[in-house]
Amino acid sequence: MDFKFGEKEGKLRKEIREFAKKELPPNWLSVMFEEEHRDEDWEFAMSISKKLSEKGWLTMSWPEEYGGKGASLWEQLAYSEEASYWGIPGTTMGVGGVDWVGPSLMMFGTDELKKKHLPLIASGDADGVWCTGYSEPNAGSDFASIRTRAVRDGDEYVINGQKIWTSAAHRSRWCWLAVKTDIDAPKKHKGISVFAVDMKTEGITVRPLLNYVGYHIFNEVFFDDVRVPATNLVGEENRGWYQLMHSLGYERGSVAGRGYGYNKRILDELIMYCRENHLFDEPAIRNGLADLSIEIETQKMLAYETIYKMSKGGVPIYEPSRDKVFNDHILEHMAFIGTGILGGYAQIDPMNRKSRWSKLKGCIENLYWLFPGISLAAGTDEVELNIIGQYGLNLPKSY
Amino acid sequence: MDFEFSEDQTMIIDSARKFLEKECPKEKVRELKEDEKGYDPDTWNKMVEMGWMGLIFPEEYEGTGMDFFDLMILMEEMGRNLLPGPFFSTVALCSLPILEFGSSDQKKEILPKIAYGEKIWTLALTETSATYEPSGVALQATLDGDYVLEGTKLFVPYANIADYMLVVARTSDKADPKEGITVFIVDAKSPGIKTEVIPTAAHDKQCEVIFDKVKVSKGNILGEPDNGWDIVEFIIQRASVLKSAEMLGGAQTALNMGNDYAKERVQFDKPIGSFQAIQHKLAKMLIDVEGLRFLVYEAAWKTSIGSQSALLNSIVKAKANEVFQRTCLESIKVHGAIGFTEELDLGLFFLRTKASEFALGDTGFHRERIAQELESYKPSFLS
Ligand SMILES: Cc1cc2nc3c(=O)[nH]c(=O)nc-3n(C[C@H](O)[C@H](O)[C@H](O)COP(=O)(O)OP(=O)(O)OC[C@H]3O[C@@H](n4cnc5c(N)ncnc54)[C@H](O)[C@@H]3O)c2cc1C
Repeated sequence: MDFKFGEKEGKLRKEIREFAKKELPPNWLSVMFEEEHRDEDWEFAMSISKKLSEKGWLTMSWPEEYGGKGASLWEQLAYSEEASYWGIPGTTMGVGGVDWVGPSLMMFGTDELKKKHLPLIASGDADGVWCTGYSEPNAGSDFASIRTRAVRDGDEYVINGQKIWTSAAHRSRWCWLAVKTDIDAPKKHKGISVFAVDMKTEGITVRPLLNYVGYHIFNEVFFDDVRVPATNLVGEENRGWYQLMHSLGYERGSVAGRGYGYNKRILDELIMYCRENHLFDEPAIRNGLADLSIEIETQKMLAYETIYKMSKGGVPIYEPSRDKVFNDHILEHMAFIGTGILGGYAQIDPMNRKSRWSKLKGCIENLYWLFPGISLAAGTDEVELNIIGQYGLNLPKSY
Repeated sequence: MDFEFSEDQTMIIDSARKFLEKECPKEKVRELKEDEKGYDPDTWNKMVEMGWMGLIFPEEYEGTGMDFFDLMILMEEMGRNLLPGPFFSTVALCSLPILEFGSSDQKKEILPKIAYGEKIWTLALTETSATYEPSGVALQATLDGDYVLEGTKLFVPYANIADYMLVVARTSDKADPKEGITVFIVDAKSPGIKTEVIPTAAHDKQCEVIFDKVKVSKGNILGEPDNGWDIVEFIIQRASVLKSAEMLGGAQTALNMGNDYAKERVQFDKPIGSFQAIQHKLAKMLIDVEGLRFLVYEAAWKTSIGSQSALLNSIVKAKANEVFQRTCLESIKVHGAIGFTEELDLGLFFLRTKASEFALGDTGFHRERIAQELESYKPSFLS
């Protein structure tokens, strides 16, 4: 056992801190879901994406031939951790651009698709921003039940149907779209295919869905006879499910480190707030902060273990689910303790975090009102617990 | 970064697991609960032969020269199997501080005898106030030619069979309760010592030890007079990680038992593990136990490379306290009524929870220490 990072990671961490101090406004503190909401925040995030690309960090884990640095999983982890801690925006290229669109294209895409899209993502270009269209009104956790269809017509596919909860669709140039290409497939996950779809194509309508606070995070996306060149099919027709399962592995490396970096920052902010406001005298607050630091330290080690397994060539199946459930638990716990610490000030609208009544730049209110979304997105806790049960404990399928 | 055990460590684990399965079946654990001594001298001697007592002593003290991490692994295995006996009190609570703070004569005299299993040791620290805070040390040692010890220690593990004790006493009254504390090396057979086993639920031979004008010579001080709290602090740091490793082993067994049972037990024509309420309970137990595992390993690793962290050690013990208890409880629920019986081994684990929690500081104690660390630590965003 040895839980030390190498020199490379140490150096990288330092560079990222310097970058954050130089490129972000003084006392910067980022919050969840903000960058996709306001135009000015989005533009700022995109300007940072460009700079991250210039540093070679944006897609650092990609091979050099595709605009990456071939960075190790540990460098990637250090980067995700630091970027989240410092609140660096613009790290993802929409929903999935960096984490799964690029890697999937490398694995399954044609040369044409790779040549076109990978440089756009890697360079932080506005045309390299993606949204991910999986969920539908009747297919959430049961994703394989999607009904949006693509039917071959000459050199094109014609797509009809509807996606929902599509985050950042209003910011994206491309959609990573899952559809049914064979509705008669004996098993429902056998008829799924993935397409790269230009969001400017005729027949696509994006309709905003506002969250209860007022954030514009996700959308409904309607496909009405949308014609997509057949060359935009990613990998094999009807093999989409298997391809997605495969490329999920890439996504996993970044999630755990991001959660840890973000949580650690919020905890640090709370600690300083309590110190400055003499709240450390209160036993409930002492206990609350102690409990959070226990959990966040635990999260760190779990995250590292997942990466370790990946670094040894393993494909961790239940570990990312374990880490997701644990992160959701921490977010909730931290939201309760944090709002408890702010007391009356926890009521301030997170959309008005520049208000003079807002404490800690609104990061606690933002956490409180928005953590439910994080815990639902990308697999609810119940679904993740099913995965842990089946693959971590070898229990029979429960549903 | 490396989350794998070395070859040597894997060997320790394999041999310990085999040995304990054979030497310490649960019938033996049950027997020893009722046994007056509370340990099996035969097993003890075999542990000596395996080199466990002096595992981390240098060779000059007849040890094997392994490190703290290796000792931690051994504790985890003992916890998995619930090995009863004075290993923890002798090795974790006494030999480590003697190795660290003892004079070279003391080390030469004491450590080889521990390595050979000839002497059993224990630590007499807590008193009627049942706290690990320095303010809890009230037993008086008065200098009158020799020192004279007067007072009562409570929850002293295996004092009923110990040959020697480290006794933490107050030698002078200072404003700061940390000052004026001295650690004495005391022959357990000294006149004036009276020992009585406390009836704990775990039947783990914790004792009341009364010191009635017990004479201890000036030479039998560990470290320096009046500066003994540093030693106690050292013991709390090291032993709480080792205790947590033992609890981790116990929690892992409790989880495994629940997991196995959920696959076998059929109700409503299905294994109960296919019911989501049961499956999700077990999944959460897994998150608990794996989280504890890597925390314990991190703390032990840091200690073994010399960069131990008081913050991390307290995080570990607080987490172990919660996880061991919760995992046992949830596993009992998964088992249904059989989980409530004497017959199922699970109860033996559950019965240890309160003793383990109290040892080296309960959750409140360590939370408070964490909070104190947080009050003074510098977040990196201010750097
Ligand atoms: C902020 C946010 C952003 C999102 N972004 C995107 C995006 O960009 N692209 C996209 O495609 N999707 C996105 N989603 C959708 C997300 O993936 C789904 O919400 C999620 O998969 C759950 O589906 P659902 O909302 O339909 O809930 P349902 O699947 O209807 O679930 C409702 C409840 O039933 C439970 N449940 C369902 N099945 C089981 C089961 N087998 N066992 C136990 N309990 C079960 C769930 O845990 C949940 O509590 C986003 C969601 C949120 C909240």
